Amino acid sequence: MFTKNTETAPRRWEGRNEESAILSPTPLRGLPHSAAQIQRRQFLYSLGASLGSVAFTSLLAAEEKKNPLAPKPGHLTAKAKNVIFLMMEGGPSHIDTFDPKPMLAKMHLKEFLREGKQKSAMESGKRYYVQSPFKFAKRGQSGADMAENWTHLAKVADEICFFRGCNVDSVNHPTAMYQMNCGNRFGGDPGLGAWVSYGLGSINQDLPGFIVLPEVSYPQGGAANWSNGYLPANFQGTPLRAKGSPILDLMPPVGVNKARQRKNLDLLANLNSIHAAQHPGHDELAARMDNYELAFRMQMQVPETLDLSREDAKTKEAYGIGQDATDAFGRKCLLARKLVEKGVRFVQLYNGSWDSHDYIERAHGNLVRGVDQPIAALIADLKLRGLLDSTLIVWCGEFGRTPDNGVRGGTAYGRDHNPNAMTLWLAGGGCNAGHTIGATDELGMTAVAGKAHVRDFHVTLLRLLGLDDNQLTYYHAGRFKQLSQFGGQVIKGLLE
Amino acid sequence: MKPGFVITSMTALICSAASIWAADVSAEHLFVRRIAPLFAGKCLACHGNDESKIKGGLDLRTLAATLKGGDSGKPAIIAGKPEVSPLYLAVTRAHENEWKPMPPKDADKLYAEQLISVKQWIAGGAPWPTEERIQTIAKANEVTWSAEDGVTVVTSGGQSPEWTNRKYKLEGLWAYQPVKKPVPPETAGNPIDAFVAAKMPIGLQPAPAADRVTLIRRATFDLIGLPPKPEEVASFVKDPLPDAEAFTKVVERLLTSPHYGERMAQHWLDVTRYADSSGFSNDYERGNAWRYRDYVVRSFNADKRYDQFVREQIAGDEIEPENPEMLIATGFLRMGPWELTGMEVARIARQRFLDDVSNSVGETFLAHSLQCARCHDHKFDPVPTRDYYSLQAVFATTQIAERLAPFLPIENTDGFEERKYLELRRNEYLARLTELDDVLLRNGQRWLIEHKQDRAPWNAAVAAARGQSAANQRGFSDVFSAARSALTKQNVPESEFPPKLVGFSPEQFGMERVARKGLERLHWELDRYEPVALSIYNGRTPQVSSIPVPFRMPSNRMTAGDLEETCVLTGGDPFASGNNVKPGVLSVLGAVLKAPIPETIEGRRKTFADWVASAENPLTTRAIVNRLWLWHFDQPIAGNPNNFGSTGKRPTHPELLDWLTATFVERGWRFKTMHRLILNSDAYRRSTQHPDRKTLGDKDPAGVSYAVFKPRRLTAEELRDAMLTATGELNPTLGGIPNRPEINLEAALQPRQVMGTFAAAWTPNPKPEQRHRRSLYALKIRGLPDPLQEVFNAPPPGFSCERRETSAVTPQVFSLFNGQSTHSRALALANRAVKETHGDVHALTRLFLLVFSRPPSADELQRCLTHWRDIEALLVDATSPAQKPPFEVRRDAIEENTGEKFFFNEKLHPYTEFVPDLQPASVSAHTRALADVCLVLLNSNEFAYVY
Repeated sequence: MFTKNTETAPRRWEGRNEESAILSPTPLRGLPHSAAQIQRRQFLYSLGASLGSVAFTSLLAAEEKKNPLAPKPGHLTAKAKNVIFLMMEGGPSHIDTFDPKPMLAKMHLKEFLREGKQKSAMESGKRYYVQSPFKFAKRGQSGADMAENWTHLAKVADEICFFRGCNVDSVNHPTAMYQMNCGNRFGGDPGLGAWVSYGLGSINQDLPGFIVLPEVSYPQGGAANWSNGYLPANFQGTPLRAKGSPILDLMPPVGVNKARQRKNLDLLANLNSIHAAQHPGHDELAARMDNYELAFRMQMQVPETLDLSREDAKTKEAYGIGQDATDAFGRKCLLARKLVEKGVRFVQLYNGSWDSHDYIERAHGNLVRGVDQPIAALIADLKLRGLLDSTLIVWCGEFGRTPDNGVRGGTAYGRDHNPNAMTLWLAGGGCNAGHTIGATDELGMTAVAGKAHVRDFHVTLLRLLGLDDNQLTYYHAGRFKQLSQFGGQVIKGLLE
Repeated sequence: MKPGFVITSMTALICSAASIWAADVSAEHLFVRRIAPLFAGKCLACHGNDESKIKGGLDLRTLAATLKGGDSGKPAIIAGKPEVSPLYLAVTRAHENEWKPMPPKDADKLYAEQLISVKQWIAGGAPWPTEERIQTIAKANEVTWSAEDGVTVVTSGGQSPEWTNRKYKLEGLWAYQPVKKPVPPETAGNPIDAFVAAKMPIGLQPAPAADRVTLIRRATFDLIGLPPKPEEVASFVKDPLPDAEAFTKVVERLLTSPHYGERMAQHWLDVTRYADSSGFSNDYERGNAWRYRDYVVRSFNADKRYDQFVREQIAGDEIEPENPEMLIATGFLRMGPWELTGMEVARIARQRFLDDVSNSVGETFLAHSLQCARCHDHKFDPVPTRDYYSLQAVFATTQIAERLAPFLPIENTDGFEERKYLELRRNEYLARLTELDDVLLRNGQRWLIEHKQDRAPWNAAVAAARGQSAANQRGFSDVFSAARSALTKQNVPESEFPPKLVGFSPEQFGMERVARKGLERLHWELDRYEPVALSIYNGRTPQVSSIPVPFRMPSNRMTAGDLEETCVLTGGDPFASGNNVKPGVLSVLGAVLKAPIPETIEGRRKTFADWVASAENPLTTRAIVNRLWLWHFDQPIAGNPNNFGSTGKRPTHPELLDWLTATFVERGWRFKTMHRLILNSDAYRRSTQHPDRKTLGDKDPAGVSYAVFKPRRLTAEELRDAMLTATGELNPTLGGIPNRPEINLEAALQPRQVMGTFAAAWTPNPKPEQRHRRSLYALKIRGLPDPLQEVFNAPPPGFSCERRETSAVTPQVFSLFNGQSTHSRALALANRAVKETHGDVHALTRLFLLVFSRPPSADELQRCLTHWRDIEALLVDATSPAQKPPFEVRRDAIEENTGEKFFFNEKLHPYTEFVPDLQPASVSAHTRALADVCLVLLNSNEFAYVY
C-alpha cells in the first residue's frame, strides 16, 4: 500500500481543525507509568533520609528498573530544569554574527597564508582574507556585539551570555556534530538529551524526555546525533518529523479505525494475559503489554500536543508564524515552549544548513532572517511565562568559520570550517546573562581568552541542570562512561 | 578511573582502611606504601620533577622543601595537624577560598581512601624516611603488601615508572592466565552440567527439562534464526526415541542447514559492525561489503576452524594473495565507518582508520577494548600505550582499497540486472549537468554585458572548450567551467570573465550539486556488480586528500607515498611524535609470540595473526568460547564479551569457561563440535519455568545459576524472518547482493543530507521474492536504518555489539502494530491459513501452528473466532483501492549557497516495475478480517519470546 506522497496531513482519529506545529518522530521511547508509581517513588525519596543509604539505594534501583524515566534529583543544586537546544547545523560564522572583526576590513582580499600540518583539501589553493559583509552594533544595556541583521534578538540581548572560547576537535561536519551533540566525534554515543533524561528522568510520563525537532531533511550524521547510544533505549531522542506523520507509524494504515484498533488491542490483551498466566515470573511480559496501551493513548496525545490552533494569534505572530521566512522555525520555537511547559526535559531544534562556503552575505542573511524573530520571541515568551529562569536555551553550531576563503575570492565570498574559534550563546537557566565570555584573536582565527574544549561546555551545561558529569556515568562494555568522555571543567564564567 | 567505579569499590576500601591503615601500620610505612607513590603520580609533575617548571613555588621532593612551602610562605604540612596543613586542605578541595584545589583538574582529584592516607600520615607526624630506609621497608613488606594491594605485571613498560610498577588485583588478571583444562567435578554426564551443578546454590534444584515443542522452537531459533515448521515440530513430538536422543537428532539436522551459517554470521557481524555504507558525511555505499558477509556465512557453514577464520580476516591477503576468498576475508579490517573527504585532514583520517582497526582487533578477537591506551597507558589493565602503538604498527603498511577479486563459483551473483536503475539515474544527472552548462553560458553572456567586459576572450575560450568537450569522457557538457579554467590559466583577472555558477537561481544551485555529487555517489553503488572486494593491501601510504570514488590498489604501492613509522602518539594526537615503536603484540602476552613481527612492508599481519590465533593465546580462545555461550544462553559466562579487562565483569563459572575453551582448542577449534556439546547438556534443555520460584528468586537473584533457561525476546531480524516464515513468503536463497525490503515509506523517502547533496531515497526491490529475503541480506545503510529493525534493538553498526539489548519501548508498538509491513504479513498469513484449510476452526488451528508451533486452546479458539466475526462485521465498505507506487518524491531543502528554499523531484526508478505484496482488494472480506487476528498473533508476547 502506498500513500501518494508524504505531504498529506498526519492522520489522527477524530477530525478537528488542527494546525500542525510541524513535525513527526521516530522512536518514542517512553514507558507508561501511573501516578501511583510516581508517588511511590516520591515516597521513597522521603524515606531516604531515615533509611540506611544502602537499603535506600537498592529500593531506588528497583524503582528505576521499573521505570527508567521516573523523575529523579540531580547531584547538585540545579539552576535549570529544561533545555531548549538550538542547533544551527553546518557551522554559523562567528565573524558574521556575534564576534566582529574590524581588522578583517583592513585585510580584505589580501592573500592569506595558512601554516601548519592540519590542512585539508578544503584549505588548499590561493586564499584571501574576507571582511564580513555585515555591520555590527552594540545591543542592550550590556552592549553585546551583534550583526545588525539580528534585529529581533537585539531586543533581548541582555538575556544572553555569549561564549567565544569554545574549541572542538574536528573540522568535518558529522564528526563535529557528533562531538557537539554526543561528546564523541565518532557517533554512536548518547546525545546530550539522552544523558540529561538519564540523569533527571522525565517530568511527563506520557511524552519522551528528549524530543528533537529536525529539519525536513535530517542533518549529516543522521539520527545518530540524538542517539541513546549505550544508554537504555528509553533515553533516545524522539524526532518529531517536520513533514508527514510526526512519529513513524503513529497511526495504523488507512482503513483501520479507532473501534477496530481497540478491538484488536483487546484481543491482544486477552491472549497476552493467558500467556502471562502460563509464564509467571517473566516480568518483561507486563512491560510489553503496558506499552500497547501507552501507544494507544499517544495516538491521541501527540497530535494534540502538536496542535497550535489554540495558541492566540498574537503569540503566533510574535514567533513569525505565517511569514514565509520565519514560519518553519517559528513553529518549532513555539512548539518547543509548549513541550517544555508539558514537562519535556530536553528539546533540540535543528536549523540549517549554515555551511556558507560561498555567498555568505546572501546565505547567512537568509538564515538569520529565518531564526532571528522566532528565537527572540521564544526568549521573550518564556520570560513572560516565568519559565526562562528554569529553561536553559543554547544556541550553537558544530564549529565556527575561518576569516579566509579559497579561490572563490572575487564575488562569492564565504568561509570554511574552523574548529578553533566559534561563538555559542546561552540564555535563561541560570546562565551569566548580559556577559560575553572569552575572546578570539583579532582575525577570529582562534580562541585566545577563556578558551575551553567542548567537553567543558558539556560539563557546564550539566552543572546548570544540577548534574555532575563525573557522577553521571553508565557502565557499558566493561567500563563506566560519561558525556565528557574523561572529565572536564565547569566554565565558571558562564554561570550566574 | 571512572567515578562510578570508585563509588562501588570505595565502601570496601574504606572498611578495610580501618583495619589495615588505622590500626597496625605506622605512619612511616604509610609513607612508603601510599604517600610516596601518590606524590609521584599526582603531584610531582608540577611540584618537583622539572625544576624549571615548579608551580606555585612548591617543591614536594623532600621533607625540607615541603616544610618550606611554596609562594604562600606557609609550610605545606604541619606535622600532626592535618586539619591546618595546606597540603591536606588543598587535596580535600573543600577550602577553595584559601587553598586552590589540588590536583587542579577535577578528573585527577584524590579518592576518599587517598585522602584518608594523607590525613593519617600527617596526623602520624608526617615521617619522611630516607631513600635507603624506604627500600628496606618496601622489601620487608613486599609479600604482605602484594597480597593486599596486588601484584606487578611485566609489560613493555608504561610512560612512567609508577605505571610500569603499579599493582594489579589478582582477580582482575584472570583473562591473561594460561587456560588449564580443569577436571569436571563429576565424570558422569555432560561435563557442562557437572560444572554448572558445582556452582548451583545449595538448596536450589534445577528446573525440569522443557517440553518438546518448546525445545524445538528454542533450538531452531538458536541455530538457524528461524521458527520450526509445523511438520518439523510434529515429527519431533511424535519421535518415539527418548527425549535426549530425539533432541540430538534435531540438533544434527539444524547443524546441516545452510541457514545455520546465516544465523552465526549475524552474531559475528554484530561484533564486527557490518554495514553496506561508510557512515559519516557521505555515507557512500560500500558496494562490495556483501562479499565479506557471505564469506562469513560460508565459513560457518563449512565449520571452518576458528583459528583459520581469525587468520584469514586479519591477514588473508598475505596468506594466499591469489585467492579472491582471502581478499574478501580481510573485509573485516574495513568494517569500521570511514571516509576521507576534502574537508578533512588526510593524516587525521588515516589515524582514524588505524585506531579503528587496532581497537576492533582488540575487541573482536582479544576481548580487549584498546582505545583507552590510545592516549595514555591503560588506567586499569596492563596495556601500556606503547603496546597500543606496537599493535598499530602491524597495520602501518595496511592500506584500504576496493581490490579486484574475481567472483567465486560459490558466490551468488544473481540480480545484477538491477544496475539498470542506477544507469537511468546516471543518465538523468548527466543530462541535467549538460542543461545547466547551457544556462551558465547564457548567464555568462549576460554578465559580460552587465559588467561591460570585452566578450571576445571569453567567447574564444568557450569555442575552444566546446571543441574539447566533445572528447570529454565524463558524459556531460561542462564548457562553462572549462572556459573559466582556461582563462584562469592564462592569468586573465577574475573580474573580466563570469564567476563560477553565474546567475544561478537557488534551484539551479541545488540541482547542480545534486547531479554532480550524485554522479560521485553512483560510482560506489555501481561497484557492487564488479568483481571487486572491500579489502586492503600492503604498501606505502598513498598521498591522497580525498577519496570520492572507490580506490583501487595502485601499481606503485611499494614505492609511492610515505612509509609510515609508528611512534607513540602522546595524548592520541596524530601529529605528536613520541618514541618510535616496532610492530608488536600485547606485551602482557608477549611470550605467546613465537616469531618477531617483521618490519618489512609485507608480512606483518600474518605473523601478528599467528599470535592472535595461537592455541596458547588465552584471550582469543576464551573470548570466542564466551561468545558462543552467550549465543546459546543469552548471557555470557564473563559478562562483557568485548572486555576481559579488570573493569569487565568476571566469569560466573570460570572453570566451565576454561574447560570449554580447552575442549574447543583440543577438538580442532570447531564451532559445530561445541554446539553439540552445549545443546545436548541438561542446562540447555531446561524449562524456563521453575517449580519453586520463591527459592529460585532467593537463591539466585542475579539469574546466573542456570537452574532455569532464560527466555529471550526475538531479535529484530528473527522477528521479521519469523513472520515471513509463517506467511510462507520467505525466499530462502543464500547470499548475494543486498536486497531492499519495503521499509516504512516515510522513512524510505525521508531526505537525508550527505556531503553537498541528498542521499537517494530507499527504493524497495520490484519483486516480492526479492524483498522477502532474510533480514541478514537487507541493505544496511548507516544513515538510514530500517525503523522496524532499529526499534527492536538491531545494533547501529558504529560500535561493536557484544550483546543485543532488548528494551521495551513504545515505538516498537507503532512499528509492529500500526506499520504497513506487519499488516502486509498479517494479510498474507490469513490468506495462507484460509487457502490451506477448510473451515474457520481449521484455519485458526493452522494459524496457531504456523505462528506459535502449537494448536489453540478451546478458549483461545473461541476468542479468535468471535473476533474474526466481529471484525468482518466492521468491514462495511470495500477496501480502499490499491494506491499507486511513488514514482518520484519531492525534496525540499535550504540551498547551501543562498540559504534559500529550493526543491527538486527525485525519480524512483525501481518502482516502475514494482509488484506489490498481496493487497486487501485481492482477497475476500472474510480473509481480511482474519488478517486482524493474524496481526494480533504477530504482536503477541508468545510470538515475540522464545522459551
